[in-house]
Amino acid sequence: MSHGAADPTMHPEVQLSTSKGYFLGFAISAFLMLVATFLVTSHSVPPFGLLMVISVCAGIAVIAQIYFLLHIDISEHNIWNTVALVLFIPLFLITIGLTWWMFSQLYLRTMDMSVMSSAMQPAVHASATPGMAAMPGMNAHTDSGN
Amino acid sequence: MLVDLPGGWSPLLGRLAWSQIPYANPILAPLFVAVVIGAIIVLGLITYYGKWTYLWKEWLTTVDHKKLGVMYIIIGLVMLFRGFIDGLMIRTQQVWAVGPHSSGVFGSLHGYLTPFHFGQVYSAHGLIMILLAATPLLVGFMNIIVPIQIGARDMAYPYLNALGLWITAAAAALIMISLFVGDFAHNGWFEYAPIFEMQYSPGVGVDYWIWTLQLVALGTTLGGINILATVIKMRAPGMTWGKLPIFVWASLSANVIALTSFPALQVALGLVAADRYLGAHFFTAGMGGNLMLYTNLFWIWGHPEVYFVILPAFGMMSEIFPTFSEKPLFGYITMVLASMAIAGVSWLVWLHHFFTMGAGPYVNTAFSVATMLVGIPTGVKVFNWAFTMYRGRLTFNAAMLWAIGALFLLLIGGMTGMMLAIPAINYMVHNSVFVVAHFHSMLLVIVYAIFGSVLYWFPKVFGFKLDEFWAKTMFWLFSAGTALVFVPMYMLGFMGMTRRLEYVFNTGWQSYLDVMEFGIVVYTLSVLAFFILLYVSVRDHAKNRVGADAWGTSRSLEWMTHSPVPFYNFAVLPHINERDEVAWRRQHGIDNVRPEHYDDIHMPNNTGVAIILGGLTFVLGFALTWRIWWLCIVSLLAIIVLMIIRSFRGDPGYIVTGAELQRMEEEAYRREAQIADSHHSHPVSGGVVGNAMAYQRNDSSKRL
Repeated sequence: MSHGAADPTMHPEVQLSTSKGYFLGFAISAFLMLVATFLVTSHSVPPFGLLMVISVCAGIAVIAQIYFLLHIDISEHNIWNTVALVLFIPLFLITIGLTWWMFSQLYLRTMDMSVMSSAMQPAVHASATPGMAAMPGMNAHTDSGN
Repeated sequence: MLVDLPGGWSPLLGRLAWSQIPYANPILAPLFVAVVIGAIIVLGLITYYGKWTYLWKEWLTTVDHKKLGVMYIIIGLVMLFRGFIDGLMIRTQQVWAVGPHSSGVFGSLHGYLTPFHFGQVYSAHGLIMILLAATPLLVGFMNIIVPIQIGARDMAYPYLNALGLWITAAAAALIMISLFVGDFAHNGWFEYAPIFEMQYSPGVGVDYWIWTLQLVALGTTLGGINILATVIKMRAPGMTWGKLPIFVWASLSANVIALTSFPALQVALGLVAADRYLGAHFFTAGMGGNLMLYTNLFWIWGHPEVYFVILPAFGMMSEIFPTFSEKPLFGYITMVLASMAIAGVSWLVWLHHFFTMGAGPYVNTAFSVATMLVGIPTGVKVFNWAFTMYRGRLTFNAAMLWAIGALFLLLIGGMTGMMLAIPAINYMVHNSVFVVAHFHSMLLVIVYAIFGSVLYWFPKVFGFKLDEFWAKTMFWLFSAGTALVFVPMYMLGFMGMTRRLEYVFNTGWQSYLDVMEFGIVVYTLSVLAFFILLYVSVRDHAKNRVGADAWGTSRSLEWMTHSPVPFYNFAVLPHINERDEVAWRRQHGIDNVRPEHYDDIHMPNNTGVAIILGGLTFVLGFALTWRIWWLCIVSLLAIIVLMIIRSFRGDPGYIVTGAELQRMEEEAYRREAQIADSHHSHPVSGGVVGNAMAYQRNDSSKRL
């Protein structure tokens, strides 16, 4: 074995960790969470913008936590982290991507899109839902048989 | 309080009150008395024979992977029995409550179970059978067999292994206590949104369900990490990936699935808990919630989970067939690739559990095709097993019968699975008992493989074989029960009988239900045969002792060490020359060698921390269920403090000296020499026989 199993503090994961790193990771995630909470409670950004800002905050928080708290990088001595990452990325894309796809298809069939869009953007008229009309099954909610 | 709690709450006891104990229930109250009396008898016997110290030192604090595995299997068998009793109750209710003129007792209009009670019975049946019977049984086998098959002395993390077991035990205890304190979830083992929300299910049943499942998920994830690390890091010298026994490959693929999918369940349960405890709206019908997102998140875990339980079963069958066909496994590489392919596809098919959601033709077609793809690697496996048996020297002992039974059930379950993968058919039979019969066929593949493995590996773990006559009797009774229960169930499914009926409206189905009830009686006889099997085998154990190679035709590494396996597994780590090492050594005449020299070895110490942490997680689960907040905080703090203390103290382990090892080994060899048909072994110098290396070289660096 390349490192002593008897002394866990010699493991590369432990060697890499520092109090500063943990604190920084915690501080960044806590700060981003506060920002997101403030934006949601204050309603200072329109809904679509809010969604985007929160998504970006969440993305940065994930990266900060992966790097500072979990020490996942692509260096040589952390090869198993890289293996885990190689497995994780396609799984992440599959779960999120397929879920997004099936639910967007479901909403086309079960949700009244005019209500949906007016709820999202009160200022815009219901008819102004770009790109939706051309998608298959768009008018299915008016079909009796579905 | 963030949510409205009907029925009151007190700071000291939370929602717990005397009225929550169903002492007036005509079924539960006598059962409770019986359980209490049984427990007093068992505890009294342990005290009478003075076995507490033995129990604490040898079992409860152990980190030995074999003993932990045995305890996993005991938990699994106990829960399998509990789940079977639930099944018996379901069948009896359905055969009783047919048509408007059927009688009713115990406060039920028809049958003997009220709808609410019936709901709890089938929910508990499903949850227990999948997560507290099949999963612990398989994890137990992986625990026992994987380290021995790869020539390791223990798991990579022995303490974590014990922790996983005791957390699983805490989950089992939590679901068992829901019988007598409060009630269990009544809406199915995977629940439904939004019926599990507080306003529709105000009792503690769903809360029991959340925390039981959460604990199982935690325990299984810990076990999965351990097995992955063990397989990757602890293989004996010479064991390259291409020489890995097939059961180890199966375990590896299964635990990759476990590690990646269980977090999805834990997130789903966390969000359900947020809804019920904090008044959130993740899965409500309004307020921005989406109830189908729950189903989606649940099956993102749920489908990989069913392959997590079937893959080790495939691995078990792949070990049993070659041993009793006296041939190497046909198509080892394709078998490995098939396992990995099944694991890979398992992440892509979850929508087939809710085709009828209405995601439309494109989505349904994609998931339908993905689901059918599973048939290719599974078909490869079936043909590999068939070709393994083809022109083999077959021995039809009980273990082989169970494996062949599993093969036939896999064909039935697989074919009906292909039918269900077609959305057009799926829409027709959705939520009918046809689906129920399909997944019972598949889960019975696992049960058959497990019973086959119990017979196959029992002599390795305990040093004597189980009785063949009673094992075969049990097999035939069990198979008859399977046919009698599930053939009519498939037929009723086609006739449109929906699942979970506590009252069957169509009197035309009575005769089918009668046959199924007869089938469950035959099943009960097979359970009886199992108890007799255990009794007879233990009684006659002196006659049925076996040497290292219990079957005489074994192939993989676990058959090289003594039976029962000593706590250190291998006194000197073997050097692996070939894929089926034991068969290879037998062919080359070096199966009866033994090392000349013994080095000191390093073993982990026992620890009581794991069982205490298990107990604390049980208390935490119970306190969360009943919303006893002070107890939640106390137990959670205790868990954290204990984990920190344990982490800083660590475990230096202890040394078994070479001389001590030699004494124990010689005793084991002497014992084996008394068994009539075993070979006499002779020591080899330098670990080398002829030009083959039998053992790890003495001069090589020491491994832990």
